[in-house]
Amino acid sequence: MSDGPGVVMRESGARGWWNLRGDGDEPRFRDGVAAVVGVSPPIEPCTWHAAGDRRAYWLGPDEWLLTAEHGTEFESPLRGALHGRCSIVDVSGAQILVNLSGAQAGEVLRKSSPYDFHPRRFPPGRCVQTNFAKATALVAANADASFDVVFRRSYADYLRGWIADAGREYGFLRGSLGTDHPTRRQRQPAQDDD
Amino acid sequence: MLLIPCPFCREDRSEEEFSCAGEAHIARPEKPAELSDHEWGDYLFMRTNPRGPHRELWVHTAGCRRYFNVLRDTVSYEVLVVYEVGQPPPDPPGGDES
Amino acid sequence: MHGFAGDTLASALLANGVSRVATSFKYGRPRGVVGHGAEEPNAIVQLGQGGASVPNLRATQVELYDGLDARPCSRSKAQRLAGTFGRFMPAGFYYKTFMGAPQRWTAGVARPTALWTASEHVLRRATGLGRVPAGNDPDTYDRFNRHCDVLVVGAGPAGLAAALEAARSGARILIADEQAELGGSLLDGSYSLGGEHASKWVADAVAELASSADVDLLPRSTVAGYYDHNFLTIVERRTDHLGLVAANGTRQRLHRVRAGQVVLATGAIERPLVFANNDRPGVMMASSVSSYLNRYAVAVGDELLLFTANDHAYRTALDWQRAGLAVAAVVDCREAPEGGLVDAVRGAGTRVITGHAVTEASGRRRVTGAMIAPLGPGADSLTAAPQHIACDVIACSGGWSPTLHLSSQTGTRPRWHESAVAFLPGDLGKRALCAGAVAGARSLRDCLEQGALAGATAASRAGFGSGRTTFTAPETDEPSQAPSRALFLVPHPKPVSRAPKQFVDFQLDVTAADIELAAREGYTSVEHVKRYTALGFGTDQGKLGNVNGVAILARTLDQDIATTGTTMFRPAYTPVTFGAIAGRDVGEFHDPERHTPMHAWHASHGAMWEDVGRWKRPWYYPRPGETMQDAVNRECLAARDAVAVLDASTLGKTDIQGTDAAEFLDRVYTIGFRKLAVGRCRYGLMLREDGTIFDDGVTARLAENRYLMHTTTGNAEAVFAWLERWHQTEWPELDVYLTSVTDHWATTALVGPESRAVLARVCDDIDLSRDAFRFMDVREGHVAGIAARVFRISFSGELSFEVNVCAQHGRQVWDAIVEAGGEFGITPYGTEAMHVLRAEKGFIIVGQDSDTTTTPHDAGMDWVVRRNKPFGFLGDRSLDVSDHRREDRLQLVGLATTDEDTVLPEGGQLVDKPEAEAPVPMAGHVTSSYHSARLGRSIALAMVKSGTTRLGDTLHCPLADGRTVSAKIVSPVFYDPDGERQNV
Repeated sequence: MSDGPGVVMRESGARGWWNLRGDGDEPRFRDGVAAVVGVSPPIEPCTWHAAGDRRAYWLGPDEWLLTAEHGTEFESPLRGALHGRCSIVDVSGAQILVNLSGAQAGEVLRKSSPYDFHPRRFPPGRCVQTNFAKATALVAANADASFDVVFRRSYADYLRGWIADAGREYGFLRGSLGTDHPTRRQRQPAQDDD
Repeated sequence: MLLIPCPFCREDRSEEEFSCAGEAHIARPEKPAELSDHEWGDYLFMRTNPRGPHRELWVHTAGCRRYFNVLRDTVSYEVLVVYEVGQPPPDPPGGDES
Repeated sequence: MHGFAGDTLASALLANGVSRVATSFKYGRPRGVVGHGAEEPNAIVQLGQGGASVPNLRATQVELYDGLDARPCSRSKAQRLAGTFGRFMPAGFYYKTFMGAPQRWTAGVARPTALWTASEHVLRRATGLGRVPAGNDPDTYDRFNRHCDVLVVGAGPAGLAAALEAARSGARILIADEQAELGGSLLDGSYSLGGEHASKWVADAVAELASSADVDLLPRSTVAGYYDHNFLTIVERRTDHLGLVAANGTRQRLHRVRAGQVVLATGAIERPLVFANNDRPGVMMASSVSSYLNRYAVAVGDELLLFTANDHAYRTALDWQRAGLAVAAVVDCREAPEGGLVDAVRGAGTRVITGHAVTEASGRRRVTGAMIAPLGPGADSLTAAPQHIACDVIACSGGWSPTLHLSSQTGTRPRWHESAVAFLPGDLGKRALCAGAVAGARSLRDCLEQGALAGATAASRAGFGSGRTTFTAPETDEPSQAPSRALFLVPHPKPVSRAPKQFVDFQLDVTAADIELAAREGYTSVEHVKRYTALGFGTDQGKLGNVNGVAILARTLDQDIATTGTTMFRPAYTPVTFGAIAGRDVGEFHDPERHTPMHAWHASHGAMWEDVGRWKRPWYYPRPGETMQDAVNRECLAARDAVAVLDASTLGKTDIQGTDAAEFLDRVYTIGFRKLAVGRCRYGLMLREDGTIFDDGVTARLAENRYLMHTTTGNAEAVFAWLERWHQTEWPELDVYLTSVTDHWATTALVGPESRAVLARVCDDIDLSRDAFRFMDVREGHVAGIAARVFRISFSGELSFEVNVCAQHGRQVWDAIVEAGGEFGITPYGTEAMHVLRAEKGFIIVGQDSDTTTTPHDAGMDWVVRRNKPFGFLGDRSLDVSDHRREDRLQLVGLATTDEDTVLPEGGQLVDKPEAEAPVPMAGHVTSSYHSARLGRSIALAMVKSGTTRLGDTLHCPLADGRTVSAKIVSPVFYDPDGERQNV
């Protein structure tokens, strides 16, 4: 056993978040989204795509959650790029993202959610919406074996406390992420297309 | 606690992520105004409640938020079939269907 | 007292010569340790004091630690109470005395008699099964979700073989066992495997499992419940063996396991033999005598008499001899037992008495001898008078009952197998297997081979391996075993009803005579007999007594055991602490609090809180020295006379987009939205399909194909699910998308005549003038430099602006508005003032003034219902059903009390003639009631039969204290009836 904390929770600063609805089977829709966001909406259920700091999480068969660095404007460029049935809603104020890393990050998830987070079932690139303690959350598996957990702002005080409590037995450390970055490593933001 | 295959997430998920929304295939009458009070009351309140295979409407509340239909045995609690809303109801399996 | 590391409380007590560990609950008889595991019915203890105290633990499963403090769960005061009149308490005593005798079941329902009600608290204490801990439990418990391909329950020989075989396939394995060490029965006996002591094989197996990837071992973990679809709960005792209060970490963890396959290797529990005074301390299970000797080095007495119906128990005689102790005799009820173990015992010079049974134990405080007599051929008579043999331990073995509790919990009925003389698990389907003694295996070799096969099969069903085993069972030294004899009740020279008590269920003092009496009184179903006699009702769920009880009932009814059947077992296998069930959902985590972005401001300004759904909302903000009424009066007057500010962020908000958004809204609201101009708002009422009010709120048209809907705070999620349901299931063709934006927006409601002036200080890009920004307009601009959407809507009747900004900036904008309002005396107000303000205006709160029977007409809201829409709307048809057109329905009215200072109680019942003879006809009830500071009097809203036609009538509200408050029916709009103040 190492002496370091088993679980590290780092909270992201303000980011842009959008809820996107539309027909993912329609190539023009996917291309339109990719052109603006730089990431195409994943069609495979329970997966997410990323390019730099921009991400598109699958939420449902016609629903995605997009995120990008704070201050990014997607709403009007997407309206310009997409035609037909679709909806784009700014939900930046509603989302809180925390990154859970450390050898026992998975144990915290197992204390919180009935979902199976075993690496065989939940490799990097997967994401899942599920119960999380007495709230719900979107959990995404990162390439660096850490997890991003996205939940509603009004539950943030409750869930921060819950996660800290669940992590305590493993050694828990709380930090923060860079303002614009959902993962620990700071990367060069991708070019905006608008 | 049931294990329910969500047809949209394409995974087996635990019952606590879902809510049951009652019997499926209760279609809203096209022209309510033309129904008698009795007929309208049947639509509002009367349900089959069978012993055995039962068509139910479920929603993946904590997951993809999509409604779908489940053919579930009310005796064994087996989930026999899940299918999307709008698809015709499968026949209750008489034999060993899968 | 002293013990050794590895001792249980029971083994330590026995080692210290404690033979009496409890006093029986009904008859007050001395009781000793009978078993060595979960089956123990007598040595039930409560550990510790105060909040940390834990009742209903089996001393046989309590690991010894320094300073352990235990007392029997049965208590002497209660015992004496029951003991004094115990012998007058036959089976069904409680039932007859307190529930009425069966003959009186005329209505088919047993009703508690008055005597029950009066005596219940005494008898509850007298039942003596533990005391509720006093105070909060200082320990921490939690829950843990687990998934595995194969869950192996039990780590005896079958379980270990199953886990080894399944693990070799690469499947994810979880193996749980209730004992501190893995090994199961191999820990208790003197078995050899592969020519060495079995403990070597166990150690090797555990080492292999521990080093395998994806294998988790859970010792000290009881699989308590087996639910649908292979969902099981496991209680892991993490620190119980170290002391009562964990120094740190989690004391117990409830694992919630979803298993692909389950292998039940739960073993078997030895069955007692039922004879007179078989409850005397010193009468024990044969395997338990061996376990205490082999595992704990405790001899439970000096001179052993073994009473058996099978070969296996001869091991106990051999163990006893090997320890250098005296064996008085082996009494075997079989006529001609033969087999390797029998020969070995005979060969050691021990007297084996065949065809005999122990008819009675002698001795009062503990066994001093046994009466034995030859059995007749049907085992229901004795062929000679009993003889006495001196001994101080009677080790019994009536056979083995498979531990089928978990299989039974799945709903599978156990089946009686005549050849096995046991109930075996029924068909477990394709997701579970049984292996080893639970499946009827009787030899160690069979247990190992069955376990390996079950492990391979389970892994293969879960998608790992071929299903063929690679396992080669190690050599065992087992001689062949002859069949055992079915003996469930040893005859006595006296008939059962007159013989000394022959105990079937030790914990609840149920005797063979009780079961016969129940049958004589007409109880023929085993489930009814269980409830009448309390057989199997204890915390041990009849682990020892069940089969004997069923067999005695069968014999009394003259039917076979298969026909009689067994009772079903339900979770939990052994008692589970409430702490483990609650986990971390206690204290601050019990009910999650939702907070708005301005929460910290409210807290630092002394807000008192009201829970609305899961939200914490400021209720009122008392200043030093103010009562609640003072504060609410001040807040209300600020809103009416100057300016006040409310955090309205909790309102439900849904973004609605699509070319059919207007059509969708038309269908779900009573009012139309098609013609609503962009930038305008409209109030809507949402009905259930039965025509009753479901929700209300203001919806704004933001663009041609985009709306924002407000819902009530408490109903937000239900409304959103309701809308999605209709869209997804009935109207998928509509081009409309719904997105919840409740958490995205922070809403500051600026209310009062000065609100325009305050907003003007922090907003310079929206024309706030009366004609440019009308009542029910929505505008976009910036407030305090932050992009904002401002609604001119009002829930108070005053000039009002609701400023919405992205929640990231919510606090910042709130602060700016409060600062800008400083010179106007801006006053924060809470939900109580909000309620008073709206009640003064006669605005309803859905769910408070309305209930699930209230139609728009009942609430006086026909003005918001459009019956001429092309599609109609949800609930439309129900408005015409005959019951909804009745004229004597409850209708919304205002009430003005005769005494202006008396505030009616909300929920108070209203009557026309309070002096009328009971039952007094009800005229209605009060739904909202407040003191109005603005009006200087009490106001109330009420639902009153035919209320709208009764304006001016006087009603009366009788109070609990005997007073009656009278009030006049008035219009529900108490203030500014023409709505002029919000249009300034």
